[in-house]
Amino acid sequence: MADYTNYTKLEMQAVTIAKAVQNGQIAIVGTGLPLIGASLAKRVFAPDCTLIVESGLMDGAPVEVPTSVGDCRFMAHCSVQWPNYKYVGFQANDWLHDNDRMIAFIGGAQIDPYGNVNSTCIGEYHGSKARFTGSGGANGISTFVNTIIMMQHESRRFIETIDYVTSPGWVDGPDGRAKKGLPANRGPLMVVTDRGVMKFDETTKRMYLAGYYEFSSIEDIVANTGFEIDTSRAVKIDPPSPEIIKIIREEIDPGQAFIKVPKE
Amino acid sequence: MGRIYKLEDAIREFVKDGDHIAFGGFTTNRKPYAAVNEILRQGQKDFIVEAGPGGGDLDMLIGAGRVKAYINCYTANSGFTNVCRRFRKAIEKEEILFEDYSQDAAVLMFHAASLGVPYISVRVMLGSDIVEKWGISEEERKKIDKLPDKKFIIQDNPFHPGEKLVLLPAPRLDTAIIHAQMASPDGTCRILGDEFHDSDIAIAAKHCIVTCEELVSNEEIRKDPNLNTLPGFVVDAVVHTPHGAHPSQCYDYYDYDKQYLRDYDAASKTDEGFQAFLDEWVLGVDDHEDYLNKLGAVRLLKTKVVPGLGFSKDMTKEVK
Repeated sequence: MADYTNYTKLEMQAVTIAKAVQNGQIAIVGTGLPLIGASLAKRVFAPDCTLIVESGLMDGAPVEVPTSVGDCRFMAHCSVQWPNYKYVGFQANDWLHDNDRMIAFIGGAQIDPYGNVNSTCIGEYHGSKARFTGSGGANGISTFVNTIIMMQHESRRFIETIDYVTSPGWVDGPDGRAKKGLPANRGPLMVVTDRGVMKFDETTKRMYLAGYYEFSSIEDIVANTGFEIDTSRAVKIDPPSPEIIKIIREEIDPGQAFIKVPKE
Repeated sequence: MGRIYKLEDAIREFVKDGDHIAFGGFTTNRKPYAAVNEILRQGQKDFIVEAGPGGGDLDMLIGAGRVKAYINCYTANSGFTNVCRRFRKAIEKEEILFEDYSQDAAVLMFHAASLGVPYISVRVMLGSDIVEKWGISEEERKKIDKLPDKKFIIQDNPFHPGEKLVLLPAPRLDTAIIHAQMASPDGTCRILGDEFHDSDIAIAAKHCIVTCEELVSNEEIRKDPNLNTLPGFVVDAVVHTPHGAHPSQCYDYYDYDKQYLRDYDAASKTDEGFQAFLDEWVLGVDDHEDYLNKLGAVRLLKTKVVPGLGFSKDMTKEVK
């Protein structure tokens, strides 16, 4: 009999993001953890949500975990295959129509207290120490859509000033987005890491600790955050039930493409 | 009459040194690898590559030193190489000129080019370093005829003063290379599955090469025009190139070759490894047929998609 109580950090993150998706929402997912989380949301927590990807594939329900947002595993199991530009137009129009039904998952290498994210480079832009893929769809998403940011929680990644702003968050405070000409009624909602969940203060738009896991602690999170973070509102988040872990391992990622099951 | 070319002839005639060039497909899906391999064999260079969502195809061109300026939004063999390694090295070591746009911007720039308009205005990129930092300076841009002098211009919306817009230049492409599932001798072609930005670059470029899985008669492809993507007169050359997107995917035909993508990931970690891979799989083979023979029938058959699933899977392992 398989053990479903030995959940991993990644599974905790997947369940946390799954619970953040609401019925009726359109979730823009990348591959990896966001797709696992959103697939879990669709199966358990919010069966009336819809998954889309930035390559233009709408309402996807892959039967095997895709490795890319343009993967045939997504393309062969969706409602419509739009060219890229139509997806881009839809994303902007949904904001123009003042709809509030989209949510997106983005990731990055560095994040600052206002949820600005770097997925371009470490060090200088020219001759960078480490170069990454670049924006992909993340910049457009962070312009028009509320986001949930996935990060590895380390003090070198959570820093006061990031090396490159690929995807703007709240910029530098409550009027930051408006000053830059960005849609002011969109922005990052939460940051989900391997140590906890951060949200943004409604008044200051600065990141605060909202929750920690059974295997982490407030002290652990403060020690691994490179800027000062308010912890006064932090609560312990319940661990996932064995039933949920069973669904991840047996139905969503049985091939262990992204979620590795711990060895007995 | 007819636009059928051999791959060697199509690349020699329509791909020139210094071309402003764009490729179809998306990271690991329907990338025109056979055509890229032939460019690598023939030696054309100094390209301005307008990349869109790029993958290993463009990574090889960069690694082989054929790219003068790389206009990037994302370059990865997602799931196999999360940042393409030759791309990464070329930027870290400052070996190429490069520019970054968001993917939204990149595909709208392609679309603007297909519409024949000079620029397109958008709201993306504001508040980010994509506007604050330029990969290629205005001074450098002025030395390259085929690049616009400015990366973008920020301007007030003339119809709605007070609103900021980013004006993006439409690229003026010399060459587009795409891979399609089907084409006919007169150049009519059919892309199955998501076309991504492929018809945009085909319409925008002066010259367009289409490599195809299947070459069918002009009558056959007209039986269901609803499925067709491009009329023959925007296509300069049609090249019959089965498995021409290998090692990437081709919707309804084959899946990615996971082993090949893993091997490329390992090889592209070092200069020597990359060169050895190139020597073995590209420069050391005579042509696309030779490449397919080297891969072998069984390996290619294993990538064939299972009808109904849309990807490859060993169905003999399924429990009933």
